[in-house]
Amino acid sequence: MISGVMDEVFKALADPTRRELLDELFREDGQSLGTLEARLPMSRFGVMKHLKVLEAAGLVTTRKRGREKLHFLNPVPIQQIHDRWVAKYAAPWASALGALKDELEEDM
Amino acid sequence: MEQEQLYTVVGGRGTMTVFEIYIKTTPERLWEAITDGEMRKKYSFGVGVESDWTEGSGYKAAVPGVVDVSSGENVEVDPPRRLVQTFSAHWSEDVEREGTSRVTWEIEPVGSSCRLQVTHDQLGEAANNQLWGGWPMILSGLKTLLETGELLDTPGSLMYAKAESWG
Repeated sequence: MISGVMDEVFKALADPTRRELLDELFREDGQSLGTLEARLPMSRFGVMKHLKVLEAAGLVTTRKRGREKLHFLNPVPIQQIHDRWVAKYAAPWASALGALKDELEEDM
Repeated sequence: MEQEQLYTVVGGRGTMTVFEIYIKTTPERLWEAITDGEMRKKYSFGVGVESDWTEGSGYKAAVPGVVDVSSGENVEVDPPRRLVQTFSAHWSEDVEREGTSRVTWEIEPVGSSCRLQVTHDQLGEAANNQLWGGWPMILSGLKTLLETGELLDTPGSLMYAKAESWG
């Protein structure tokens, strides 16, 4: 991930309201602006403003359904953060768990 | 024994999930990476795909000799912009029971890059998250392959490198 894009992701995640918006989309993906506005203690303008930041960072992506624009949580940038800082630790962990699983299953 | 899931699935709950990534490449190269069986293996947990990529034709995705992963029909084939496929998963009895869903690949050029949106929809209510949980890792691997020519290790790629992790 190029650093400019990553800056946008961290800036977007730095705000508690925007994290709450992502949590809300995690609870139910594919919501319209109207639904999000009704579910969060925020003005329509506030929701719009925060969605725009999340969209610019690639954390939210949209699709049209008829006249409605639906918002989806896009986990790919978080995956890329994971690739950069977590996956290197996961490699030995995944193979150790795999070995443990083999060992446990041998006894069954 | 149930297969342990060694990675955490984030996001995308419901009958429709959407994943988006920007990749510095051309639509033609991106289309090739999606439809070329050998390229596909490099970022898709070793799973290759075979098809003649005409509308109405079938496709089969598999790790040859290890596991049949999925199959379906190419509903729309519009290179290098849009590919719509039905998706039936076969790697375990659990996912087999989920029936047929739909995967739409959409490529849109943006300056010197491409925006790739993958929509996996027509999923059942509370669909097994194994059906769509691999997409972020697959798309990250696709980006790395096209931008650097290298393979990206992810928990998914490491786990499925072992034949017995399937099913």
